[in-house]
Amino acid sequence: MNKFDFFHKLGVKYPLIQGGMAWISDSSLASAVSEAGGIGMLAAGSAPVEYVQQEIRKAKQLTAKPFGVNIMLLSEHVEAIARLVCAEGIKIVTTGAGSPGKYLKMWKEHGITVIPVVPSVALARRMEKEGADAVIAEGGEAGGHIGELTTMALLPQIVDAVDIPVIAAGGIGDGRGIAAAFMLGASGVQMGTRFLVAKECTVHQNYKERIIKARDIDSVVTGRSTGHPVRVLRNKLTRRFEELERAGASIEELEALGTGALRKAAKDGDVANGSVMAGQIAGLVKEEQSCSEIIEQVFSEAAERLNALSIDLIVKDNPADERD
Amino acid sequence: MSFSNISQIIARHIGVEAGEIKPTSRFKEDLQIDSLDIFEIVMDLEEQYDLEIPTEDLEDLRTVGDLVKYIDSVKD
Repeated sequence: MNKFDFFHKLGVKYPLIQGGMAWISDSSLASAVSEAGGIGMLAAGSAPVEYVQQEIRKAKQLTAKPFGVNIMLLSEHVEAIARLVCAEGIKIVTTGAGSPGKYLKMWKEHGITVIPVVPSVALARRMEKEGADAVIAEGGEAGGHIGELTTMALLPQIVDAVDIPVIAAGGIGDGRGIAAAFMLGASGVQMGTRFLVAKECTVHQNYKERIIKARDIDSVVTGRSTGHPVRVLRNKLTRRFEELERAGASIEELEALGTGALRKAAKDGDVANGSVMAGQIAGLVKEEQSCSEIIEQVFSEAAERLNALSIDLIVKDNPADERD
Repeated sequence: MSFSNISQIIARHIGVEAGEIKPTSRFKEDLQIDSLDIFEIVMDLEEQYDLEIPTEDLEDLRTVGDLVKYIDSVKD
């Protein structure tokens, strides 16, 4: 199978999926990414089915190109949303936070291309066995809820373990990252953080400015102690979380601190007390651009990098060689 | 399948002595087994004993005893 067959069949120009970001990836962002040649994704997050339906219908008005829905499997509305994507004729579904096993049959019957996000080799193999069309191997460099392994280590291990296409996610923010993902065996990439600052992204302006100002070391993970690690940019909220953690607060107390925190940052613009979820690559994101500018730029950079490769990896003219 | 077979498989995956695992041991609270470990263990069981264990059936299994009972029921 040609490397790009998978994306070719989906009818897109670039092998790119936009990461599903709860409270952020709405019809405005998703349709702009699809129009620009990638696969835009609406994030269902924990939103009720009516909201997701409204966003699907808005996106259909905004683009005739394919877009998908990212379904968070821990949502209390997951059953209804799983049926909604069938009823609305959605063609691409990505899933997060577990195994979509029980919905796979129904989605396949509706001709949906199913791409679960996986953080381990075993889950990738299980998803392949259950009928997933591809998997997104997401390393812990990604923003939001994350697994333990890095993209650099996870991606080639999953590529070796399954025969379906593997899409790389986590830590990819420019053409160099895309080129690296292809070197590790990926068939495509998913980017989230870079699109946070897209002009068409409706996240609060304070959130965008916080991403643009972020340094590498601002990226931290909270909640390792609760078993639900989340990558965010550090602020008052993360310091409060760490204080509570050190003081031996209960899991319930710690989780309560996170409740509603993403909405507070993404919608209300409270980037001090809200949860500013972003990937480690935030430090690399420097300006607000349109989705089309972002996508054209990163793929021309990636192609340039990959096409320039003709390295034999031997250091030339080293005096040490002459002694041979 | 006996409890001792299953406890040995679990023990190998999480790096404890099989003797430390009891039928009443809870995956999450007592053995610190998370959802990713569960998939590893289940796939191992499927391969070794030629079984199909649907993902949705895993949700109700809280203890090692639950898993043993479940495996016995699908084997028949």
